Amino acid sequence: MKTIISLKNVEKYFNSLHALKNITFDVNEGEFVSIIGPSGCGKTTLLKIIGGLTNFSKGSVTIESGSVESALQGRKFGFVFQKPVLLPWRNVLENIQLPLEILDRRNASEIPSKLLKIVGLEKFENFYPNELSGGMQQRVSIARALSFGPSILLMDEPFGSLDEITRDRLNLELLRIWREESSTISSITFVTHSVPESVFMSDKVIVLSARPVAVQQIVDIDLLRPRTSEIKYSKKYLELVQCIRKILK
Amino acid sequence: MYKKNIKIKLKRTLTPVFVSLGVLVIWEFIVSITNYPEYLLPRPIVIFSALIANFNSLLYHTGITLFEAMVGFVIANILAFFIAVIFTHSKTIEAGFHPFVIALQTTPIIAMAPLLVLWFGSDIGSKIAAAALVSFFPTIVNGVKGLETIDEEALDLFKSFSATRRQIFAKLRLPNSLPFFFQALKTSAALSVIGAIVGEFVGANRGIGYIILTSTYHMETVKMFTAIIMSAVAGMLFFGIVSIIEKKIVFWQKF
Repeated sequence: MKTIISLKNVEKYFNSLHALKNITFDVNEGEFVSIIGPSGCGKTTLLKIIGGLTNFSKGSVTIESGSVESALQGRKFGFVFQKPVLLPWRNVLENIQLPLEILDRRNASEIPSKLLKIVGLEKFENFYPNELSGGMQQRVSIARALSFGPSILLMDEPFGSLDEITRDRLNLELLRIWREESSTISSITFVTHSVPESVFMSDKVIVLSARPVAVQQIVDIDLLRPRTSEIKYSKKYLELVQCIRKILK
Repeated sequence: MYKKNIKIKLKRTLTPVFVSLGVLVIWEFIVSITNYPEYLLPRPIVIFSALIANFNSLLYHTGITLFEAMVGFVIANILAFFIAVIFTHSKTIEAGFHPFVIALQTTPIIAMAPLLVLWFGSDIGSKIAAAALVSFFPTIVNGVKGLETIDEEALDLFKSFSATRRQIFAKLRLPNSLPFFFQALKTSAALSVIGAIVGEFVGANRGIGYIILTSTYHMETVKMFTAIIMSAVAGMLFFGIVSIIEKKIVFWQKF
């Protein structure tokens, strides 16, 4: 199994504040890895370090055995933030096209409409963000993250501000999109503060502790794929949820 | 629902109309029973008929003032836009010139107007300069704010695409700043009319400011009132035009 993301003894200081302490873990090819921990514990910072948006103080981060910078330059990262961060002056289609314009791949015009279909918004391509619900906006932001064919998807509590019903639906959709034939995504790193969500989605859950943030335990989720809602009634699922809750206590 | 909306809208437009009509009626009534001298406070009906009688001449002078205001406004705002862009690109330049901008802004336009006449002549040049000078500052201040007030996550998004500085500017900073710019443009539209009139006060032979000034010399209070009304109309008209353009361009903003 190829290692996609590898963190070794990563440390981060904000001035005198020890924000991240000795973080070590891998994300392998084909893996869905969740990072969970108390709020304000630096999960976002950790994700930004992986994606090259923030620097770290000590340790090493390698992406597909190269540096973070070269992965960033090679446009390997697709980011989905907690807020959809759509540009309000662009309609849905234009928002999805944004990365393609920046990469000067304007000729790839069939991609956005294909992605709209995948995220189930084909009828909304001319709508503006303020005309869409929160769930729809987040779908657009996922489609945008996928549009330029990155191999590593980094998601920062993408469904954190949505209601539970929408969140459950989007969880299933994300797994389906990931498994699509045309999908370029080899691994997903997913920050969340929902224990059930982390168990349902992941192959591996990295449980962080608060101040200084360190890896408390890495829990393997050996539930079968493809995951369906029925899994949530299984004994194993409930045990895993309980197990992580106990670690977090 | 739809009917109710129309009712509310009608109420909103009609209420101020009725209030103003009421004020005018009371004004008319008080002036006629107290026999107040016309050169101090003319009756609304007299002002209104003078407005109708001299409408063509008033329109000509208002047009001159509005032209000066608009030319000054356009020059100032194009300049202010580029300076705002330069300021956001270089903190050093901004720090160096900021006190200068503030000092110019706090200097009253009336104090500068005679100098402008000296420099740009007593024709429309000095009025355009006065209009430009007052309409310059809102745009520069708001422009810098608009170009720099960027959502941290949006910036991260662009960085995650490895976007260049130029791309971030063209696709994020610039469109993001438009609501701020238009906010400033509305203010400077109204200010530019004031600037032009102040310029005319110092020395002119046409324009609404000239009419106001000469009617004072001749104690033509009625004429002065008609000119004041026209200057208000000019300011509102310009403000209205900018507001309409704003709604078209900054369509995503809720008003």
